[in-house]
Amino acid sequence: MSSQPSAPLIHPPTLTGILSALLRADVAVQLRNGRALLLTFFPPLAVLYGLFTAKRGAQLGSPIVKVSLALTLGIALIAILGYTASVARDRELGVFQRLRVTPAPSWTIMVSRLALQILSMLAMTLVVLVAAAVVENVTLDPAAYLLTLAMVIVSSAVFLGVGQAVVGLIKSVDTVNAVGRLSFLPLVALGLFGHSDIFGTTFETISRWSPGGAVATLLAGGMQPTAWSGDTWWAFLASVFYAIVFAGIGIRWFQWGSR
Amino acid sequence: MALQVEGLRVSYGPKVAVDGVSLDITEGEIFGLLGPNGAGKTSTLSAIEGLVKPDAGSIRIGDVDARTNPGAAKARMGVQLQSTSFQSNLTIREIVRLYAGLYGVRLSRAGIDDLLADVHLGEETSKRFSQLSGGQQKRVSLLIATIHNPPLVLLDEPTAGLDPQARRQLWDRIERLRDAGRSVLLTTHSMEEAQAVCHRVAIIDNGKLLTVDTPAGLIEKHKDDPRVRKVAHGQVTLEDVFIGLTGSELRD
Repeated sequence: MSSQPSAPLIHPPTLTGILSALLRADVAVQLRNGRALLLTFFPPLAVLYGLFTAKRGAQLGSPIVKVSLALTLGIALIAILGYTASVARDRELGVFQRLRVTPAPSWTIMVSRLALQILSMLAMTLVVLVAAAVVENVTLDPAAYLLTLAMVIVSSAVFLGVGQAVVGLIKSVDTVNAVGRLSFLPLVALGLFGHSDIFGTTFETISRWSPGGAVATLLAGGMQPTAWSGDTWWAFLASVFYAIVFAGIGIRWFQWGSR
Repeated sequence: MALQVEGLRVSYGPKVAVDGVSLDITEGEIFGLLGPNGAGKTSTLSAIEGLVKPDAGSIRIGDVDARTNPGAAKARMGVQLQSTSFQSNLTIREIVRLYAGLYGVRLSRAGIDDLLADVHLGEETSKRFSQLSGGQQKRVSLLIATIHNPPLVLLDEPTAGLDPQARRQLWDRIERLRDAGRSVLLTTHSMEEAQAVCHRVAIIDNGKLLTVDTPAGLIEKHKDDPRVRKVAHGQVTLEDVFIGLTGSELRD
């Protein structure tokens, strides 16, 4: 170990240095994870295709609503399945504990992970919007694209909050994966019918104000700024409420170690 | 002093894992913490490392209070955990780069490769941690624990599971740390290791430090203790002292 620096470190490293080291490593891990990449891009594109080609697809809402539903599913998949699986696995392996004995504050470890998830969601959004424009001629004006990306960030908080709650309340990797899949039904799939009365108006109302429904409404509002309504504001407030509640639960009960 | 621990108490719910432990480690000293399973060795280390919050007591790393200034304290210590794992998709080179960044050490790619070559891992830089042998993994862990050249190095059972050759190599590396003026606190189950590398050894059981001295001093101090005499077969060894003081029943 003769080539190591000779003088002991006296000052802790800078926050910027810590965050950039963590983020660089997390990006490298994500890019090498084929399953995560597949989960990020394939399902929302498949759902988009399905919604536009389904016989009764028109009953689910306008083309903008269909795009927002595909985005909602994509965001939820990244957060509830991808994020929870990676956090649960790394906790089980002791990766977090190894990072926590360095000068990096614990919150930076999680901020890096969350930032990466949000970047993945923004990348997925761009791919879905390009696909919607190319294949289905659903084009937005520049302001709408920007507002949509901003709403994706708000929406990511809802589902990352859900993911955080799942890994906060459950330690076992297998159980986290199972609960993540099961939570899709009440949290995401229910929201698919928030703009459709296929199952009646009561179901439509419940669906619209479920986490998935609120996010879908919010994203549809982002894609049509001129049609931004009182309902969109309520969806925004509901999303913020869900994000705070779920993230609060997840942070309160989260444990870094598996024992 | 490189490390001063006073009245450390750690509990997990109703179970008290560390009960009033006090110890000092001087600069350039290798200090061994010897104890059976569940004695409180890892909990003591975890409290010093900042992984668990003590109920009471003080911890000073050099002149830094680790409880009020954990960031500065962590910058002054290097840690090798009992079972270390790194991000599974990173190569060894990337892992070293990550941890160098977390300690604020700037290293070029060539600099990282030099460090890895120095621990005989020059051919493995593009491998993942899980692809390395147990001995290679321990060498990577020790390299990362010392990448910022800390005054204090904490090693939790550093040679557990290693073959005799790998164990000897690691002892050499620990002694090189000492020669460079670093202080080392290590936990171990191995009497041989304690005698081979430690200046002083503390025996811990049920969360309490039972005795502290040099390996030879411990034998001298306890050779006439009836509990030790009862388990000794001929000349009293460090293991006899250990078994005599901690009991011979199996621990989980």
